Amino acid sequence: MTGRAGLLKAIPRALVPLMVAAILGASPNWAAAATTRATPVADPFDPDRGGVAHGSEQGILWGGHGEIRLADDRVLGASDPEWFSIGRVNGFAGARLSAKWRLSGEGTWDRATDDFVLERAELTYRWKRSLQAHGGIFPAPLGRTNLRHDAPLNPLAEHSLVATQLIGVPNAMLGAGIRGVTRGAKPMSYEVDLVTGLSDGLLYESPGGTRLPFGRSNYGDNNGLPSIAARVAFHPRAGTEWGLAGQTGIYNETKIGGVTVDGNRWVHLLVADGVTRWFGLDLAAEAGVAFIDIPPGLIGLYAEDQWGASLEASRTLWDPLFGNWKSSALRVALRGDAVDLDRGLLGDSRHRVMASLNVHHRPYAIARFGWYYELRRDRFDNETPHAGVTFTAASYF
Amino acid sequence: MIKRQVPQDIGRIRSRAAHGVQAMRRAFRERSLDAAIVAICLIAVLSIGCSDLLTTKPPIGTRFDQPMEGLDNGELGDFQDGQEQFRRAFSIAEGLGPIFNNVSCASCHSGDGRGVPSNILTRFSRGSDLVLGEGGPQIQDRAIPGAEGERLPAGVDVSRRLPPPVFGVGLIEAVTDSTLLTNEDPGDSNADGISGRANWVTPPAFVPATEPGGGPGPRVGRFGRKAQVTSLLQQTVDAYHQDVGITSPQRPAENTNPLSSVVVPGLDPANDPEVGGQEVNDVMQYMRMLAPPAPGEMTARRAQGAAVFTAIRCGACHLPSLRTGAHEIEALADRDVPLYSDLLLHDLGDGLADNRPDGSADGREWRTAPLWGLRIAREFLNGQLFLLHDGRARSVEEAILFHGGEAAAVRDAFNALPAADREALLDYVESR
Repeated sequence: MTGRAGLLKAIPRALVPLMVAAILGASPNWAAAATTRATPVADPFDPDRGGVAHGSEQGILWGGHGEIRLADDRVLGASDPEWFSIGRVNGFAGARLSAKWRLSGEGTWDRATDDFVLERAELTYRWKRSLQAHGGIFPAPLGRTNLRHDAPLNPLAEHSLVATQLIGVPNAMLGAGIRGVTRGAKPMSYEVDLVTGLSDGLLYESPGGTRLPFGRSNYGDNNGLPSIAARVAFHPRAGTEWGLAGQTGIYNETKIGGVTVDGNRWVHLLVADGVTRWFGLDLAAEAGVAFIDIPPGLIGLYAEDQWGASLEASRTLWDPLFGNWKSSALRVALRGDAVDLDRGLLGDSRHRVMASLNVHHRPYAIARFGWYYELRRDRFDNETPHAGVTFTAASYF
Repeated sequence: MIKRQVPQDIGRIRSRAAHGVQAMRRAFRERSLDAAIVAICLIAVLSIGCSDLLTTKPPIGTRFDQPMEGLDNGELGDFQDGQEQFRRAFSIAEGLGPIFNNVSCASCHSGDGRGVPSNILTRFSRGSDLVLGEGGPQIQDRAIPGAEGERLPAGVDVSRRLPPPVFGVGLIEAVTDSTLLTNEDPGDSNADGISGRANWVTPPAFVPATEPGGGPGPRVGRFGRKAQVTSLLQQTVDAYHQDVGITSPQRPAENTNPLSSVVVPGLDPANDPEVGGQEVNDVMQYMRMLAPPAPGEMTARRAQGAAVFTAIRCGACHLPSLRTGAHEIEALADRDVPLYSDLLLHDLGDGLADNRPDGSADGREWRTAPLWGLRIAREFLNGQLFLLHDGRARSVEEAILFHGGEAAAVRDAFNALPAADREALLDYVESR
């Protein structure tokens, strides 16, 4: 098919020299200039977010970030230019109510998931750095990307497929739990929450098969039974973090009009993630697998197993890009990612490569010149190639 | 007074100078390497070319989902709208079910071509009784939570049918009744062993006379494995209703399992009808304007195969071409259609019989299957091929060998061919 031939010809020829050049050209000494993306999330739960606030006064901080997108997207050679669109819009605010109490809120609209999410409406009580209690609506600890995904921090225009198609970043839920970061040279961070979990939207709202992001429900639960979400992350050295997260719980409501129509059904989601620095490259990876208990009448059409993974490499080429503009930098980024939305089928999957050349105004803004090539396979395993060139700009405001 | 530098100072200065030179060299090397990365990337992009990096348009005639040539801009717009509806996968919240076979039109027709055994449809009846009270005429074995999928009742006549290709149906629609009837020979008056007759079917009341194949009274059926459907409108409406569980203005009542052991009201949260007349029309127009793939190049071997095809009388039923009549879409009107079918019913023998009547077709009769599109069929079936009504034949040769009844003599003639002629014939058919 045209798509397969295009992939076989185009992608390896494009990627091999780029990867080889990036690796050969890397130098261990060339590690000083990195974006905040490479900084491990030592305390990803800090209400101050690690991002950039626009204002701060009397214990209150506020800000936001946004992203615009200009693109020429193509499917099978047919151009579908998108001259201007909003990629992401976010607003956040936090208040330090006392030495121990903090209140924070955040809302995001994201193009990839085409949804507005109240990401945070959270009250935190901080006994100490290693033990905090929190409650309200907050991002479920399902991997590093879901915990920290401010648009200006991303070296590529889109989140990975595992993030958008499996985890559903931004994925925030109503709940309560504890979290903290241990002290020492090799700290460990953890979070354990009881949350509302995913809803039966992952079946009822999703067209064409199981889609976990359609089960995001951050205002309440539809079955009265909480899910457990947890993450533990290790930081063996500066710039490196290895995390493991999971969520398990019942997603469905078993009654319609007071009549019990189905039993309790479970969904389990496991996510592994990591960031590190290797030969001058900032590497980030995330992988997830989901197991869904499907009602018998839908088995065969709705997926019982899904998985996805992504690997991302970025590197600074010039820092500063211009001598008198000290905060400028020029970086390249490359990502390969894939998601199999039904392991029971040959098809129903997506594979993608993305590359980007970025101009940074650290830490506030980024302009990205990007390219992507994606193969989408339908349920018959027929490929349809998608590709595009993009210009995106993201900034805190 | 000039301070005299002592040897230690000179050593320190030399050391600093050396470090400075090293740092400069390192910085130069690093920048050079980074410049090389950028240069290599640019060279890679330039050598590959933007067209490959941004996908390329497939040549005309190499896919099943391409529009007919000669459509005007308005028709192309309708084609796009219809394609979107054809590919639309319904969620439960949008009306999928309560019982159904698949989630969209595109989920049954691979790339708009034929289906695969995993999504085969099961039709059943008792004789000509469609047993609506037992879930007939088609099993919907999948169900949304709370509903119960249908199971095959005992003692019924069963016919398992692969979803047929949907390309080229507009051209089939545009062939006039009179053209089809010209090729009829129900009593085998020419004594060639091939009969062929039309399936006269009364279209449902919702198909108006303005619609091709519509109006009162029996009309010539031409769609479906037994030519049991007369119009694309009926085909579209019934596929929505029976296969996807989607109600429309033409069929506004949900299809439910009459033998269900559980009855829960309000299972399907969407209001009926779940699609409007516009969506139905969009899908119908899309199918109308789908072009058949182009046949392959006529090589010498294929020319030999074409001659054999005619000589052993494959073409008696698989007529290489039919002529269309007038049609509101100009691109469909008054042209020769290379579908390799007479669209008539033929007795194909006991081996292929499903013993289930359909319209006026009996249990041994099948509509001659068009051969167009075989050239690229494998590309949309993971390299496999599923032929005949239930996909039992995995190659053209197998399909020929399954023929019986009226086609038995042709099958025997095929068996008697020299190997070279057989291969040429198969090459020709698979290049259509």
